[in-house]
Amino acid sequence: MKKMIPLTLIFIAGLLGVISFVIPHPSYQVYDEWIRNDLLRVLSAFAVVLALGSLLRVHFDKIKRKRRNWQFSWLLLFAFAASAAIGLFGGVAADGILPTAIGSFRFDIQTLYENIVIPLASSMFALLAFFMASAAYRAFRVRSMEATLLLTAAFIVMIGLLPLGYSISKHLPEFVQWILNVPNVAGQRGIVFGIALGVIATSLKIILGIERAWLGGGE
Amino acid sequence: MNISTDPWVWIASILSLAILSFLYKENPFFRAAEHIFLGVANGYLVTFYWHRILMPILFRPLFQQGDLLLIIPFTIGILYLARFIPRISWLVRIPIAIYMGYWTGVLIPATIQAQIIKQIQGTVLTSANFQSWNAGPWGIVWSVIVFIGVLCTISYFYFSREHKGVIGATSRVGIVFVMIGFGAAFGYTVMARISLLIGKLQFLLGDWLGIIK
Amino acid sequence: MTIDRRIIYAILLAVVTLPLVFPSVLEVTPMTPVEKLFTAVDKTTDDKALILDCSYSPQIKAEVEPMAIAVLRHAFQTRKKILVLSLYVEMIGLATRAINQVVEEFNISAQTYEDSIIYGRDYVFLGWQPPPIVPMLGMGESIANIYVVDYYGNQTDTLHMMEKIRNYNDISILVALSGSRIPISWVAYAQNRYGLQVGVGCTAVSGADFYPYYQTGQFTGLMVGMKGAAEYEELVETNYGVKGRRVASEAMLSLTYAHLAIMLFIVIGNIGFFLHRRKK
Repeated sequence: MKKMIPLTLIFIAGLLGVISFVIPHPSYQVYDEWIRNDLLRVLSAFAVVLALGSLLRVHFDKIKRKRRNWQFSWLLLFAFAASAAIGLFGGVAADGILPTAIGSFRFDIQTLYENIVIPLASSMFALLAFFMASAAYRAFRVRSMEATLLLTAAFIVMIGLLPLGYSISKHLPEFVQWILNVPNVAGQRGIVFGIALGVIATSLKIILGIERAWLGGGE
Repeated sequence: MNISTDPWVWIASILSLAILSFLYKENPFFRAAEHIFLGVANGYLVTFYWHRILMPILFRPLFQQGDLLLIIPFTIGILYLARFIPRISWLVRIPIAIYMGYWTGVLIPATIQAQIIKQIQGTVLTSANFQSWNAGPWGIVWSVIVFIGVLCTISYFYFSREHKGVIGATSRVGIVFVMIGFGAAFGYTVMARISLLIGKLQFLLGDWLGIIK
Repeated sequence: MTIDRRIIYAILLAVVTLPLVFPSVLEVTPMTPVEKLFTAVDKTTDDKALILDCSYSPQIKAEVEPMAIAVLRHAFQTRKKILVLSLYVEMIGLATRAINQVVEEFNISAQTYEDSIIYGRDYVFLGWQPPPIVPMLGMGESIANIYVVDYYGNQTDTLHMMEKIRNYNDISILVALSGSRIPISWVAYAQNRYGLQVGVGCTAVSGADFYPYYQTGQFTGLMVGMKGAAEYEELVETNYGVKGRRVASEAMLSLTYAHLAIMLFIVIGNIGFFLHRRKK
């Protein structure tokens, strides 16, 4: 029962999803819209509640058992509590019951997002440029014909895309566009077919209950 | 140099430098910044899910406007929280099954249409495709190259037969196209990564230190 | 002989920083994919609107935000009605930021009410509704049903623009700005079922992957990475004289030197590799 019910439900839900594309008639679409607009939206919200609950549980546990770097978990919990309070009571557009400004100093949820989330997230990805440069020096070795071909295409694209390419030759950017439109499309399209067939196969396996990893462990 | 006096710009800059300090080695400032990011990002998430989904789509219509049909999604959604009670944690499979089932069901015809049928249409040798290049007679040549390239690439990824004879030859041609595609992707990736660094420096040197005008 | 990674980091930092501190204007030549997107947006008629999907995360803001700003400037300057939305909650703040910046740019220099960018008349910020498939398919029937309230909490169907803009039939093009495969989902769901025209602005990482869809016409136009953003900025300024900070164009010189530096690292690394192999 603990497996049969979910497997039956996933089959029915999958069938409803496929049918929605095949029956455009309004009398069926009404039900399809209810599934999407009411059921799936609410489920996605509760899924986030689950995710947040799990995150908080992990960090509370880390603090309780004094695991490595447990002190930083306090920081996370404080940051979460403060920003959630500001957002929930201050409102999305600073229109809530909690005032989110002291004079000209604002601390509404959008301000927190712009000055904490954006800089931190963008800095994390800015690090990648350095790692890529180091990897390019250490690891990119032209050991074979294929690697030479890859490197040549990469160099042409890197130069040709930029204004420098245009100043070397007016035809270089056009040649780069040709590389992207013709041989690149041919190579990528073969991969697109493979991925698409894989996606369809996996989706069918999930709906038909052949793929059961999503059930998780246990009975 | 025109250093900013906005406290938020200073906070953003200090947090950015804390993350960038990872280049030297991992350190407590980096860890602290990481944890602050996770905390605030999740606080932001909670705000929007509450104000824009749970209240207007579920709680207000259900409890204030009397839309009783919403009891169904509410009940199924609550089952997610069964995850925290070991004895009934299997119930979490029910909302997962519904959500994932519908989504994978919708994915199948959409993928067939967009990624198989349309892509085949763009590959086959038709006069519409020849003309789509706007390159006159060269359009035929480019279409033939794409057609051959796609077939050879697919043959390269066909591992059910040994790559000998005809399949061996076509897969060797296919690898040429794949390598060109990956080379183009690598070139673009270099541009992407450098762009992200440039963006960060534009903020630090421009908005914070006022060196860039 | 191996070069310490910190020396590589320092060289890269110098090569990227110096052109920003000592800038030089590089002429940017728009390429066909960006021109096609620009033209498609330009062709939006008065009775239709365009949708700007700002589904790019803070991690890739540097590449994609200039695209959002350029498209918004284009729409506001030519008085094209524009709806802005985001498919994921962590991206909605970036959409807010881009809109606020461009609206302020225009309203600071506006002389009259007619010149100004007015919410509800010139643009509507729909906000966000999860999961992505809900707005992708739902807006084909009714935009106001999906976004019952907009980002600011207003009833969407009470906004002036939304009297005439009901669903995809009233949308000329959707410009999807993203760092993931979201544009392909727009094509798979919205374009397949409702014939919606889709234009794309993407990070350079996804650029090569999206060309098959551009070649089939599923993507009407394509802006790739910071260079694509710079090209669109160039088109907006050249065609409509919109003056504003061109963040992507400012980065072109840094990008050029950085590319040359990376190429040099690869070449030096390989020279060392071949010399070492020969010694053995």
